[in-house]
Amino acid sequence: MRRLLAAMKKEMLLLVRDGIGLSILFIMPMLLIFVMTLIQDAAFRTLNEQGIPVVFINKDQDTLGNRIEQGLKDTELCDFHTRIDGEIATEESARTAIKEGKFLIGIIIPEGATDAIEDNIIGIVSESMGDPIVQEGDPTQAEIKLIIDPVASKSFITTITSQLREFISSVKTRIMFETFKEEIGELIPAGDAEIKDSYAQREVITYDQEYASELTGEAKPNSVQHNVPAWTIFAMFFIVIPIVGSVMKEKQEGSVFRFHTIPASYFLQINAKLIIFACVCLIQFLLMLSIGLVFLPMLGLPVLNLGNSYFSIFLVALACSFAATGYGVLVGTLASTQQQGAILGSLSILVLSALGGIWVPAYIMPDAMRSISELSPLHWALDGFYALFLRGGGMLDVLPHVGKLFLFFGVCIGLTALIKRAKQK
Amino acid sequence: MQSESVIDVIEITKSFDGNDAPAVDNLSFSIHKNETFGLLGPNGAGKTTTISMLCGLFNPTSGTIKVHGEDLRVHLKEIKRDLGVVPQDIALYPTLTGRENLNFYGAMYGVEKAELSDRVETWLDKFGMTRSADKRVQSYSGGMKRRINLIAGILHNPKILFLDEPTVGVDVQSRAAIMGHLKELNDVGMTIIYTSHHLEEAEKFCSDVAIIDHGRIIARGNPSDLITAHEGCVNLEDVFLKLTTTALRD
Repeated sequence: MRRLLAAMKKEMLLLVRDGIGLSILFIMPMLLIFVMTLIQDAAFRTLNEQGIPVVFINKDQDTLGNRIEQGLKDTELCDFHTRIDGEIATEESARTAIKEGKFLIGIIIPEGATDAIEDNIIGIVSESMGDPIVQEGDPTQAEIKLIIDPVASKSFITTITSQLREFISSVKTRIMFETFKEEIGELIPAGDAEIKDSYAQREVITYDQEYASELTGEAKPNSVQHNVPAWTIFAMFFIVIPIVGSVMKEKQEGSVFRFHTIPASYFLQINAKLIIFACVCLIQFLLMLSIGLVFLPMLGLPVLNLGNSYFSIFLVALACSFAATGYGVLVGTLASTQQQGAILGSLSILVLSALGGIWVPAYIMPDAMRSISELSPLHWALDGFYALFLRGGGMLDVLPHVGKLFLFFGVCIGLTALIKRAKQK
Repeated sequence: MQSESVIDVIEITKSFDGNDAPAVDNLSFSIHKNETFGLLGPNGAGKTTTISMLCGLFNPTSGTIKVHGEDLRVHLKEIKRDLGVVPQDIALYPTLTGRENLNFYGAMYGVEKAELSDRVETWLDKFGMTRSADKRVQSYSGGMKRRINLIAGILHNPKILFLDEPTVGVDVQSRAAIMGHLKELNDVGMTIIYTSHHLEEAEKFCSDVAIIDHGRIIARGNPSDLITAHEGCVNLEDVFLKLTTTALRD
C-alpha cells in the first residue's frame, strides 16, 4: 500500500508540475464546450424548429395579415422580425437580408389578401343561400409570397406553410361565420349572438404533447444537454495524450528500466497512473458540469438539466474515467515512441468520438452509422448521460452502460499486460 | 581462501532475433562476496546484455544464473531485494527534486519511511547534495544527476550492486566522490559489479576483472596479475588493447 501511495504521489507531482499540460487538460475542454455549444445552439434550434429567424411584411394590414402576424409572434417556431436594421422591412430589403443569411425565410402578405377571402366567402354564402352574385371579370385572388434561404430545411418550409394554411383557414372560418351570421340575422332576430361568438372562439380539438421522460421539466435535446456531456466525455478520453506522454517519458528517461529491477510489479506504477488520471477525469467532469449549470446560462443558453439521480451520474463519470485512462495506458504501452502514441491516441479518440455521437448526435445519424456508433465507448458514456439528463433515468438505466465501460477498461488493462509481456520477451 | 560465490553464471547464451551471432556466447564465471568485479569490453562486446541478465531484466536463451545459490529465474522477486542497479542512463524524473526522486525510489524498494528519510539525508550529505536536494533534477549538472542516480540504486542497502558506467560524463571531482563512496560500500560488504570504458578507473577500483569480446570472456583475473601476465603491458588499457585489438567497433 505504501508503495502505491508513493507511486501516486509521484504521479501527482509530475502532473502538477507540468503546468502547460495541466492547463490544457482543463482549459481545452472548457473552451470546447463554450465554442461548440454556442455554434451548435443554432443547429439545435433548427433541428427542434425553434427560434428560426423570419422576416414578415404585412401589406394586407387587415384581418388575415394581422392574424398571421400575431400567430407567428406567438409561436416558438419563429424568431419574428418586421424590421431589418431598424427599418420597416420591404420585399427588396427582405430578399437581400435573406441572401445575406440574416433570415431563413421571408413572408409577404399581399395587399387586399383579406378582401380576397371576404369576396370569396360572400360568393360561397350567397350561392348557398340561393342568391348567387354574378361577378364581373376574374374572381379576386391573393398570393402570399415566401422568400426562402436555400439552406432552410424542407421540413421547416413545410412547417411554415402548414402554419400559414392553418391561419388562413381560421380567418376563412371566422369570415364565413360572420357572413352567415349577418345573412341569417336578416331572417331571424339575433338574441344569442354573443353566446355563438364564444362557441366560435373555442378550440374543440387540442394537442397534448409529452416527452417520454421521467423529468418533470422540459427535457429535450438542446445544445447544452448534448454538448456538455458530449465534450466532457471527449475531454475525459483525451486524457489518453498525457497518459501516453507519461508512459513514454518513463520509458525514455530510464525509469521503466529501474522499475524492472525493483522487487515490485510494474503494474503498481500503472495502477498509480490509473488512479491519479481517473481523478483528473472526475475533476474535469465536475468542472464541465459547472459550466453547463452556471456559465452557459449566463450566455443565454439553457441550463443543464442533471436529471434525478446524482449517484448514477457519478457512476457513469467514474466508469468513463476508468475506460479513458485504461485506453490511455493501452495506447502508451502499444506505442514505441511518444509521437507514435500521440498520433495513435488522438486520431483514435477523434474517430471514436465521431462514431460515438460526440460531434453529431447519434440519433440524427443514418441507420448504418447509428449501428456502428454503438461500438464506441464514448457512445456508451454519452448514452448513459442521455439516460440521466434527458430521459430522467436512474441507476438501472445506466448499469448496462457502466458495465460496458468497466468491461472496456478491463479489456484495455488485460491487453496492456499481454503487450507488456510480449515486449519484455 | 576465496570467499563464497554470490553469483554463478553457468554457460549462458543470449541470442536476439535478427542477429546471426549470439550477444553472449556460452559465458561462465563466478563473482565472490565482497568482490569489486569489472566487466570490461569494447562496444557491442556483450557487457550490457550480461549485466541485464544478471539483474533479471531478461532471461538467457540457455544456461543458468544463480544468486546466493538460488536460480535467478525461479526466485527473481526475492533475489531482486538484494540487488541494486545504477543504470548508465540517468533514470530520474527531471521535474521532481533530488529528494523526491530518492524518496520515491526508496519507497519502491520497500524501505520504511523513517529509515528512508535518515538514509536519504545521510547519502545526500555524503555526496554533497544536501543544499541542492530540493531543486528539480532538470536543473542539476551532469555530475549532480550521476550522484543522485547512484544514491537511488543504493538506498535499500543491496548486497549486490550493478553499476553500468557510473562515472560517464562527470567531472574529476564527482568521479572521485562516486568512486570513493563505492569503495566505502565495498568495504562494508557490498559486492559490486561494474562496467566501464574508463580502464584506469577500473584498474584502481576492481579486485577482479573480466575482459569480454564477441560475447565471450577472453581474460579474467586481478588487474595487476593480468598486466604481469601480458608481456609489454604496463597498465590494464595495454592488456585490453592487446586482447581486443585496435580495430574500431560499431
